[in-house]
Amino acid sequence: MSALNRRQFLTSTLAGLASAGALAACAGRGNTAASAGESAAGESTTAGATKPSNAPTPKGTPTAAAREKRRLVIIEMSGGNDGLSTLVPYGMTGYHEARSHTAIDPKDVLSLNDQVGLHKNLKQLQTRGLAVVQGIGTPNPDGSHFAMMDRWWKGDMRGNANYPTGFLGRLADVIGDPSARAVALSIGSGSHPALMSRKAPTLSIPRADIAAALVGAKPDDVARYAFQQALAEMAAETASDTAGLTMARRSNRDAVRFATTLNDLPEDKADSYPGGNLSDGLRLAARLLAADPAIRIVHVPMNADFDTHTDNNGRHPELMNNLSTSLDAFLADLERRGIADQVLVATTSEFGRTVRDNNSNGLDHGTASCALLLGPVIAGLHGEHPSLTKLDDDNQLIATLGFDQYYATLAERWLGIPSSEVLPSGAKPIDGLIRV
Amino acid sequence: MHSMSDDKALIAHLLRRTGFGPHPGQVEDLAKAGYAAALEQVLVAVPLSIDQPTLGTKDDEGYLIRWWLDIMAKPEAGLHEKMVWFWHGHLTSSVDKAEPVAVARQHQLLRNHALGNARQLFQDITVDAAMLGWLDGASSNAEAPNENYGRELMELFALGREFNGAATYTLADVRAAAYALSGWEVDGEKASQVSFKADSGPSKSVQFLGTTVSGAKDLVNTVCDHPAFAPHIAGKLYHFFHGVPPDAATLATLAESFRSSALEIKPLVAEILRDPSFVEHRLNRPRFPVEWALATAAVLGTDKEADLRDLLNTLGQVPFTPPNVAGWPISSRWLSAGAAMTRASWAREHSADTEVTATLDPVAWILDRASLYEISDATKSALAKAAAKLTSKRERASALHALAVSSPEFALA
Repeated sequence: MSALNRRQFLTSTLAGLASAGALAACAGRGNTAASAGESAAGESTTAGATKPSNAPTPKGTPTAAAREKRRLVIIEMSGGNDGLSTLVPYGMTGYHEARSHTAIDPKDVLSLNDQVGLHKNLKQLQTRGLAVVQGIGTPNPDGSHFAMMDRWWKGDMRGNANYPTGFLGRLADVIGDPSARAVALSIGSGSHPALMSRKAPTLSIPRADIAAALVGAKPDDVARYAFQQALAEMAAETASDTAGLTMARRSNRDAVRFATTLNDLPEDKADSYPGGNLSDGLRLAARLLAADPAIRIVHVPMNADFDTHTDNNGRHPELMNNLSTSLDAFLADLERRGIADQVLVATTSEFGRTVRDNNSNGLDHGTASCALLLGPVIAGLHGEHPSLTKLDDDNQLIATLGFDQYYATLAERWLGIPSSEVLPSGAKPIDGLIRV
Repeated sequence: MHSMSDDKALIAHLLRRTGFGPHPGQVEDLAKAGYAAALEQVLVAVPLSIDQPTLGTKDDEGYLIRWWLDIMAKPEAGLHEKMVWFWHGHLTSSVDKAEPVAVARQHQLLRNHALGNARQLFQDITVDAAMLGWLDGASSNAEAPNENYGRELMELFALGREFNGAATYTLADVRAAAYALSGWEVDGEKASQVSFKADSGPSKSVQFLGTTVSGAKDLVNTVCDHPAFAPHIAGKLYHFFHGVPPDAATLATLAESFRSSALEIKPLVAEILRDPSFVEHRLNRPRFPVEWALATAAVLGTDKEADLRDLLNTLGQVPFTPPNVAGWPISSRWLSAGAAMTRASWAREHSADTEVTATLDPVAWILDRASLYEISDATKSALAKAAAKLTSKRERASALHALAVSSPEFALA
């Protein structure tokens, strides 16, 4: 009987939602061509042609010294966040007509001008200098959550680039130290496709209290020590493994390595968090960012249901409140830890929702939406709001900005990575969004 | 790895894929008659007879989760139970959105049809109270109908996005489906009654997937008759049991058999498990968290009070709470550092009262108990060193149990 065929395992485990860091696992590590901070050096990780690294430095690129400390926190609002209930076009033609059940009363809007304003439950974020990028989407929208999430995870706006890695994984490959315990983290249990990298270690961590028994015993504590020694030995790289076993052993190895980081986290004194899934994830993110400078990217899935096909105006305000109070506490925590100026927070969501509501007081799958940024950003509106009357053939919003440009801004203007190294060519950053 | 491929290794594989074990001793018992007999025994096993859940307490949700985990934890939980799990991960509904009482009823529906007829299953689930709640069919009005269920029925449940290289459906089909599926209401205390209200339902027939349909039953029949239906279901089932998707020729054969049996599920599953490649596809995917948790509980002998729900919550796979309409990915994502930490910590915390290992060869003893018949030298040597260091029987037993289920081999199915 043949041993497991390596290709079959790869097909099985990488074809659908692949394990982040798995490519690194299979390719082996130790390629240190790009040391930390030398972002322009060495390998491009894109699926297409290798990009030259000596491209002219783009305008507005931060200096090397500044960018080495910069961190990116991505909040993923999966399910499809209704942009029109987040940045409410309360004064725009067509809004109240299209949304006979779900239009938001102007008194519940924090007006930014006579056309649009923030949902009132975002008030904490407005106080903190929220930037809103309007009309983000793709020129060829797809109504499937899973097709569009896959595009956002991979940084593949048109759905045709066939990247083997995730966008955040590629960022980590360029800026990260491959010998770090982790360059990018997702807060959660399963490894995340957005973090799939070639060589940078990218991990998923659900909570902080899962490592106490795994490392740190002294030899005279015989039973615990023997267990921990064996656990580490079982995880050591072994040449003769099949592909499946290689990956299993690699995740055990990552676990043993990162256990020390978790166990060494100082006691958490922050008490201002409101509680809940997002709040817990952000709290852990703040502790990890403060503890380990090698961690450059943290992905925090919101694990809330933005798919408001029914009762949008009952459900969406709660989501906004959760987002606003959790991020408010997170930013206060970062300030207390003295790292607020290092952290850019940016939201993603696979699509927005239909302009017109349905008879269930809900909104079906749409196209363009808005994105929110906090931290060293220029507060207020960016980009152009999509028209509510000039719609596409499916009666959906027409995006005014491709999400690759949003991603290019995060890569180039914040992390100093030329967008051509991590995105298909032609994705230009947005000017005037990030404070350089 | 040793290419030790005797019957025990194959039977352990069979039980990992068609159940939630193996439980200690099961492989040895079946090995006496050989792999072929073991497979037949798996295929003819009758579904577990279960006591209905007692709902109506303050925590129906928690109760229901525990109730099903206790059923899946039974050593006799076999192919039928595994198929209930498959359908729950495919035709999803979550207690986070649908009423727990309705979800419990849907669960019974899945039990009834798990190895039955796929057309009947799809007909029934389409107007099931929990599904109408979960995917917003309830109260959808033809005037501005809700698109949720119709879209996911085509994309995820029945057809897939593409078939033979072309898109299976268009946005016009999504909207036609929404219209044809409108008019269903869920009423009564705890979503007990499902009814069709003609005045909020479709008043005319519509073009859907190239044919004319008028209403939910018609629409589901059209979906089940679509050329993409049989390969979509057969392909996912093959992937679920084999850990890899089928090649094109295998898929075509399976789909043809499925169609010619009028969409009977049991013969399809039997054909998938009898495929000679099944035994080759060992250890090619991670154990899903539910599989790991239940197999681990069996090896450690943890009592029923152990908090599997908390473990599964951290691992990201709590029954009745799929992360989204697509369910849990069936082939990947479960090998992560966080998952590995969670598993090893839980195993260590729950191995204080395990059985005591044999004195003569404690490593062989624990590997048998964990049904690990294909084990790397690296793992075996780590276990042996730990066993040699620990002179206390109690400490040695605890460490070996925890290490066996934390091994990279045990993380694979």
